[in-house]
Amino acid sequence: MIERIEKATEIRHWLGDMEADHYYYSSGIAGERFFVALRDEGKILGSHCAACNLTYVPPRIYCEHCFAELTEYKEMGKRGCVVTFTVAHYDKAGHRLDPPEIFALISFGPCTTPLLHRLGEIEPEKICVGLEVEAVLKPKKDREGKITDILYFKPAK
Amino acid sequence: MNLTKIRKDVAVVGAGMTVFARRLQETGKEMSWEAAKMALDEAGLTLKDIDAVILGSAPDAFDGVHKKGDWLLDGAGGTNKPFMRVYTGGGTAVFAPIAGWWHVASGMFKRVLVVCEEKMSSVQPHAQSAFAHIWDPILDRPLKPNLVWIFAMEMQRYMHKYNVRYEDIALVAVKNKRNAVGHPCAQLADPNITLDDVINSEPMALPVRRLDISPPSDGASAIVLVSEDVAYEHTDTPVWIDGVGWCIDTTMWTNRDLAFPKFVARAAKMAYEMAGIKNPRKEIDFAEPYDPFDYKELQHLEGLLLADPGEAAIMTREGKTQRDGEFPVCPSGGLLGVGNPIAATLGIKIGEVYWQLARKAGPRQVKKDVRTGVTQAWGDLMQFSAVIVMRRR
Repeated sequence: MIERIEKATEIRHWLGDMEADHYYYSSGIAGERFFVALRDEGKILGSHCAACNLTYVPPRIYCEHCFAELTEYKEMGKRGCVVTFTVAHYDKAGHRLDPPEIFALISFGPCTTPLLHRLGEIEPEKICVGLEVEAVLKPKKDREGKITDILYFKPAK
Repeated sequence: MNLTKIRKDVAVVGAGMTVFARRLQETGKEMSWEAAKMALDEAGLTLKDIDAVILGSAPDAFDGVHKKGDWLLDGAGGTNKPFMRVYTGGGTAVFAPIAGWWHVASGMFKRVLVVCEEKMSSVQPHAQSAFAHIWDPILDRPLKPNLVWIFAMEMQRYMHKYNVRYEDIALVAVKNKRNAVGHPCAQLADPNITLDDVINSEPMALPVRRLDISPPSDGASAIVLVSEDVAYEHTDTPVWIDGVGWCIDTTMWTNRDLAFPKFVARAAKMAYEMAGIKNPRKEIDFAEPYDPFDYKELQHLEGLLLADPGEAAIMTREGKTQRDGEFPVCPSGGLLGVGNPIAATLGIKIGEVYWQLARKAGPRQVKKDVRTGVTQAWGDLMQFSAVIVMRRR
């Protein structure tokens, strides 16, 4: 039952696509505060659950563990440390990334949820778990209220 | 939770699976039919004998067809029967059998067919294109994630926290690709692979290299589940599902314990309690944990409470998890050796445990006498786990 057809176009085939190719995703209530604070004030916000002693970064309006409504927003500062990282050599389409891109989870302190982002201004060999880093933001005039308003995190001075 | 008063015991009496490979010609329905027919033949049943059908298949985006469950319906044998599709990503491989189990255990149905199918070659340019849409569209997608690199970050965290050496992780890939040599459906069996081959393979997203990863694939697998009332009508060697468990962690993958899979432990404890297992290390003879990446086999063994955190790597280095070792792990060859058509890996997880316990595993049969096995699959956004404990009586 096994054939060795290498190319999909060598068999009788029909092309198809999913026609609904655009979606609008909203940032939500907590997301709106997070992205506006990032764009206008250059601040990274979190929301705190006192019952669980857990700070969500980015913020959320509820705690998923106890279902409390979260109303206490905190500024997290720009410094954090690397929880884990990877040096990616390929993008999702399978194209080589040259130079490789470095992705990491950044924690802003104990009992906070880490944030996913890129690392920059560092050689891959010098990264380690626990490394202290700080956020590098786009200039205010270029910020759009997106996660990419943070360009990357670099080693903290 | 009531884990003790189940109405009917449930046995596996037949299993089937297609070759795992890039199968451009056959449709998903045709592969489903092939696997389902094999399972029915082994059980000595025809489709007419089946009371209900469960179908497992992963994202609709692989096929570009919504409601893939009813799209694959006729190939899975579900037409004009009670039918449901379940989907928990890769976890479907063991979760679909659990859905089949509750159909029978409830006393509602006597004979249920469970079919899992995956065809990953239709989506262009690559299955990764479909995976791109499983992330949060606001926080993750703008950073252009690739599935491999979130696993790489998890592997890094695991190595860091438990001081696990990459060389020990890579040994899992060597073991499983060699084990797969005995499997008639294997895509990536390699009798000659060495540790150096894995260590020197191309860096994908470090610490993950090409040979640390299982390949995308096409295929289908199926099992037949029957009630205790009829099990011995069909076979002298029914293999009993004595415990099932499942659990899911937060969808915010950044917020999980990336070193120890707590959700696997929760699912395992549920299955062990149901099966009356108090000391899994002593009472379980072998395991088929989910191994889409080599480090996942180790993490899952630890989540299944069959090793302490970090200890699974040492067991691997000492050869204990080899097919003829004291605790065989992935004697099938696993996803790393046989292939990874997501949901269809049913055939190398619950399928393999069935064949091993029924002593039908042929050249893959483990040497020691095995009576109790555990299998586990992992899925959704690397947050879900399903666990099944099986016994020969």
